[in-house]
Amino acid sequence: MDLFFQQLINGLSLGALYALIAVGYTVVYGIVQLINFAHGEIFMVGAFGAYATWMVMGQPANLSVGMALGVVLPLMLVGGVVSSVVVALLTERVAYRPLRNAPRLAPLISAIGVSVFLQEFVRLFYGTIPFVTRIPGWPDAKSAVPFPSISGISDASVQIGGVLVQASALFTLLALVVCTVFLWFFVNRTKTGRAMVATSQDPDTARLMGINVDRVIVAAFAVGAGLAAIAGVAHGLRYGNIDFRMGFLAGLKAFTAAVLGGIGNINGAVVGGLVLGVVEALASNYLGTTAWKDVWAFALLILVLVFRPQGLLGAKVVDRA
Amino acid sequence: MNTVIPDRIKIAYRYPARAVGAAGALLMLVSIFLPWAYGTAALDDMSYYGAPSPLQLCFGVLALTVLALLTIPLVGKQRLGKWAKVLAWNTTAKTASITALITAAIAVTSVAVELGGLLNVEIGGWLVIFGGVAAVASTLFLPDSPEPSLDEVKSPKWLQILAIVVLMAVALFAAAFALGQVDAGAFLTFGSFLVAVVMVLRQFGVFGWLGMAAAANNRVLVISAFVVAFLFPFTQNGSNANMSIAAQVLIFAATALGLNIVVGLVGLLDLGYIAFLGAGAFTAAVLSESAYSHFNFHPPFIVTVLISGLVASLLGLIIGAPTLRVSGDYLAIVTLAFGEIFRITMNNLDGNDGPDITNGSNGIPDIPDLNAFGFNFGQPHVILGIDIGRFANYYWLMLLVIALIIVVFTNLNHSRIGRGWVAIREDELAAEAMGVNTFALKLLAFAGGAFLAGVAGAVKAHHDVSVTPDQFIFLESAFLLAAVVLGGMGTVMGVLIGATILKLLPEKLRFFSDYRLLLFGLLMVVMMRFRPEGIVADERRQLEFHAEDEELAEEVEEELITHKAHLNPEREVFEL
Repeated sequence: MDLFFQQLINGLSLGALYALIAVGYTVVYGIVQLINFAHGEIFMVGAFGAYATWMVMGQPANLSVGMALGVVLPLMLVGGVVSSVVVALLTERVAYRPLRNAPRLAPLISAIGVSVFLQEFVRLFYGTIPFVTRIPGWPDAKSAVPFPSISGISDASVQIGGVLVQASALFTLLALVVCTVFLWFFVNRTKTGRAMVATSQDPDTARLMGINVDRVIVAAFAVGAGLAAIAGVAHGLRYGNIDFRMGFLAGLKAFTAAVLGGIGNINGAVVGGLVLGVVEALASNYLGTTAWKDVWAFALLILVLVFRPQGLLGAKVVDRA
Repeated sequence: MNTVIPDRIKIAYRYPARAVGAAGALLMLVSIFLPWAYGTAALDDMSYYGAPSPLQLCFGVLALTVLALLTIPLVGKQRLGKWAKVLAWNTTAKTASITALITAAIAVTSVAVELGGLLNVEIGGWLVIFGGVAAVASTLFLPDSPEPSLDEVKSPKWLQILAIVVLMAVALFAAAFALGQVDAGAFLTFGSFLVAVVMVLRQFGVFGWLGMAAAANNRVLVISAFVVAFLFPFTQNGSNANMSIAAQVLIFAATALGLNIVVGLVGLLDLGYIAFLGAGAFTAAVLSESAYSHFNFHPPFIVTVLISGLVASLLGLIIGAPTLRVSGDYLAIVTLAFGEIFRITMNNLDGNDGPDITNGSNGIPDIPDLNAFGFNFGQPHVILGIDIGRFANYYWLMLLVIALIIVVFTNLNHSRIGRGWVAIREDELAAEAMGVNTFALKLLAFAGGAFLAGVAGAVKAHHDVSVTPDQFIFLESAFLLAAVVLGGMGTVMGVLIGATILKLLPEKLRFFSDYRLLLFGLLMVVMMRFRPEGIVADERRQLEFHAEDEELAEEVEEELITHKAHLNPEREVFEL
């Protein structure tokens, strides 16, 4: 039974990671009906942005828990969020906005292009001033980069009965809770949030009511990118390293989570992420070997799309094909 | 091309501009007899006086073109007769100078890069740039020509056929010459020259006429294209390097043509298409006589090909039947997920995580060469005194496969099924309301496309000698999609061009192999932004991307109803 609970907690923390990324897919899809294929890369950029912040701070190591959790980690989060948001808004401006009235295929293909471009850009130019010089002391992103360890998270764990809970898992879960509360507040209590809901329900009417739809779309991309960046940091703390490819699989899983919960539905993304994480953790333990865990996740995606395309909590179903 | 220079000034200075431009062209012509580089290692050795290298001769062609375009109209409108009206002299002169200057800049930059510094550029190199700048600057002062209307000139049939055959022969020669360039700078320069020639011909109106001739003599075009493609190995003198690339290009192109049915005709975005190629390749590998295959059933190749195709299309049915009911975006992600499932499964069928079929990540090596029709594909042989190597054999086999695919594709495209597909792409609900069985047709496209990929995969397994799961990653699917998008969705010609560009350029330009994917990503974004219909545009498709373009809409409509083949007398001509 301990094993079951251990896998459950592993699954929940993994699921929290997926959920944080999935929100970005769902918010953007709800408003512009675009699968932002490059969202996984925004998550990756967030992790690298946080790492860059740590480098700029002078690679602080062996700090007291208070310093690490009170100063270094928050600054890294801010750095990650800023870089993700900037990159996301740039891609929206350059690659998606000009294609808003194009046939559906165009923005999706453009998004694939952005995804490949961002991966390669980080691989080639991280730690350099492009085409000029390498920045001394900075690592090369061509292979995995070890993520800095944060005292109090990277090295700590809690033992509950027979279940060992890593502090990084708690951090991810806590981040999800905080972000969910923030999102709820943002969507229901702020003007921009309500404008977002209105736009996703009916963009034309929203425009007639005086909502600046372009601004709402930018806000959606920014919110999604911010949460993805937090997930990026959580990923770094959980696995101990980051690499330029990490966005692909994580993005795909997070999209699965978004569809599982019902795409366009923010609560659905959170629930879908948690369910997907738990299913993946349990399935890899009880069905075959761990080598098959990704297969179960994707099989779940296909099953959901076939039998319940509106997802667990119900999607805003748009069929513009 | 609209310039900022007002018409008043253009008309006032038209003769001086013409003179300066002609002088610039003359300078370019002179420069090819002068050395361009101090070293012999750059491009194709441009260091001699009085003996132009082949690439310098290319510049000679461009310079003469500019010169001719600027001087011939001086003969006068009366004596030129109808040619004055139907050809776009001035605009073409401008295009020719600009492309010549760009090509010269590429050549000179290559010299500088390959020899280490601009100091190594000799007098001729500077002269050609100077002449190019003069020609470009002065042609900007020429009044714009009206759109060329050469396609409306009546021409005898023999001339059209002759033109097509000559064009194909030139294409063969150019392709052989381009592939013969081992130097990256030389390859780039020649590529730029080819682009220049194509743009000049298009601007001049020759392409419009050729397009008309090609449409009128479609069969001649297709047959001569295949004859040329068939003859290509004979130009390689037994060299395997280029034939290997050519065979890979054809395998890639055949797969892309299959994807073209699914994406281009039916409008279903498939992001896991490489899995079907993989299914075909693994099936062929398992059924081959490789010592690493765990099966004891080794049918002849023709059976293997059929089984590979069937296995792939079975997978297509399995993935398609449940998911084709969901809409476009979802389908893209489901197929992507399926592609990943396929790759991971092939990785896991290694005896540890599952039954041992594919040897896991090691894949199946040592696949013997094909032995079909009493003919061993691994054996080199001599035809007409020219060595034909192993890769040429596979090249011809793939050529045959592609010919079959094209026949099937065009016939389907013009049949009830093809019209149903296009109807689904344009508006699925309307198609269904009109009685099109959308589900069955989509499933047919999916399974049919998968079959083609499976067949290509079977050849690929033997051609590559080994099959491993990591050949079938998502990026490969993205490349296939890019070939279709880049070339032009729904067209055969476009997809062939797209596949060639995407496979050939990275092979030839190894020096920037590190930036290959970066540029690829950028290209996809830029393409979608500025020319989403691809290099060769399917006209109906083009209209989809430019819905507001009334002129294009009328053109397409007109073309659909009737082909116009008379000279339009009311055309305005801007004269000298």
